[in-house]
Amino acid sequence: MPENAFTTSDLGHAYGSVAALHSLDVAVPEGRVGLVGANGAGKSTLIKILLGILTPTTGTATVLGMDTRSDMIDIRSLVGYMPEGPCLPLDQTAADFLVYAAGTAGLPPKAARQRASDVLTLVGLDEERFRYLGDFSTGMKQRAKLAQAIVHDPKLVFLDEPTAGLDPSGREEMLDLIARLGTFGIDVVVSSHVLRDIERTCDWVVMLDEGTLLDSAPLGAVAAEGAVRLEVNGSPDAMLAELSRTGASITADGRRLIVAHPSADVFDIIRDAAVASGSSIRRLDSGGATLEEMFLTKGART
Amino acid sequence: MTESTGAVYDLGYTPYDGERRGRKGARATVFADGIRRVLGIRRKGRRKILPWALLAIAIVPPIAFVGISFFIPVDVGATFDANLQHAQFFSLGGTIAMLFTALAAPELLIPDRKDGVLSMLSSRPLTSTDYLASRFASLIAIVLGFLLAPQLVLYVGQAGTHPDGVLRGFIDGADALPRVLAVAAIYTLAFVPLGFVIASLSNRKAVATSIYLATMIGLTAFAEAIVQNATFIGSRWIALITPINTADAANAWIFGQSNPGSLLDAADIHPGFGVAALIVIGLAATSFSIIRYRRLM
Repeated sequence: MPENAFTTSDLGHAYGSVAALHSLDVAVPEGRVGLVGANGAGKSTLIKILLGILTPTTGTATVLGMDTRSDMIDIRSLVGYMPEGPCLPLDQTAADFLVYAAGTAGLPPKAARQRASDVLTLVGLDEERFRYLGDFSTGMKQRAKLAQAIVHDPKLVFLDEPTAGLDPSGREEMLDLIARLGTFGIDVVVSSHVLRDIERTCDWVVMLDEGTLLDSAPLGAVAAEGAVRLEVNGSPDAMLAELSRTGASITADGRRLIVAHPSADVFDIIRDAAVASGSSIRRLDSGGATLEEMFLTKGART
Repeated sequence: MTESTGAVYDLGYTPYDGERRGRKGARATVFADGIRRVLGIRRKGRRKILPWALLAIAIVPPIAFVGISFFIPVDVGATFDANLQHAQFFSLGGTIAMLFTALAAPELLIPDRKDGVLSMLSSRPLTSTDYLASRFASLIAIVLGFLLAPQLVLYVGQAGTHPDGVLRGFIDGADALPRVLAVAAIYTLAFVPLGFVIASLSNRKAVATSIYLATMIGLTAFAEAIVQNATFIGSRWIALITPINTADAANAWIFGQSNPGSLLDAADIHPGFGVAALIVIGLAATSFSIIRYRRLM
């Protein structure tokens, strides 16, 4: 039976009089989990409680089956954490820092050096290993932050806004790296307010809004059932007629269409309809709006 | 022509299934990093200048002294007083150790807070007290090194120039070792906890260094003014708040030397009380640092 990555029971936390989490009950399976919500939704607070950095005001939480209050040291030996803010010593080289990071996770010196070298290669920083972290670009710093989070081969890694501050290409590279972590046997919890990042990388999503749980569900199932959004150049009438003939359900809003079909591949249907009607497609979104729609449906503010 | 038999393999990701030393390993790593950090090891060249210059200043006088006693044994043999030499080099080494603490304590604590490294460390198998204790241990180890290195040079030099041979010299010189260790511990107690508490409160290294030196010197000036001028009952006990004077007085007391101009002497307070006061001040400062870091990690 698969283990849960983390569970919470009646979990609450308040900073003074400001409540950040309200009575959260959730059980999240292993795999790649997205933690989504607007800024201030309680994502970072939840991660900090799961790491034992914050003590919950109410309720309990477990990570990999261990209690965050009583087994904090054991949990931390098996998890990694990439904080949202800076965490790199600017006067150290990337290689020295990663050896240090591995050592602080409990790896013996020889293993720490080997792992540091391997992980720097993995995140694409092998050429920069002897450069000081203070001389790194934002993208390189984000990779170094990811490297310190996985240098000790954790069972589970928490990534708090891993794409923050990255340009589009840096963002793509970071998302690719995160997507690969699952193939290494490392479970991932990614926190982000960018829904597309979660869709790209995760197979389960936990939605938070103002400290309360909106939903916790497998993303794959939602995406499979979800509609495809497209926008047609010119008049959509011919396209609409062709699509209707296939039995697809269509919601039209001017030139923007949302198309779904209970059995056939929606993309094939759209392609064939475009050819038959002679229409050209301006935009095609492969379920891109699904999570956003789901989020909005649940009543969250974005 | 030799046919190539090599091949390139994509090894991909290799999971780690070796030893995990947990909290113990984390503490040892933070300790070792602290030593490297304050000595500028594996840092840019300019970071090495001050610590190594101070170490040189601490160690050159006893080397010169031993060198002279080696080449001019007759003159030195007549004047060599082990207790006097130990006490004198502690007095010099103490000043250098204080300067070193002023530089090293901020270096150990402030960059980790300023660069956000604490947020990385707070996800490791390490409590805030573990972190602080490891950093504390790094500074104590280095300050003890600063204080003991000149004494070791003196001990070896004294043995090497002993009229009854080197072995006899080592045996005779060993008599002073417990006192040497006690005085080194007292100087460390006088300097390190205050350095830590100031570094735990400041966000700039230069500011922390300045505040520390101003505090150490200022406390002495303040206590001197009170002891010499104040007339209220018990004013002399203010002398106990001066770590530099207390450590110097304890040094002279333990090695049986006179300490003219000592504030504790002027206040008619036994150096033993001074050491007790240092322990109280040290415990208070350390407790404050621990509480402060519980809020940070």
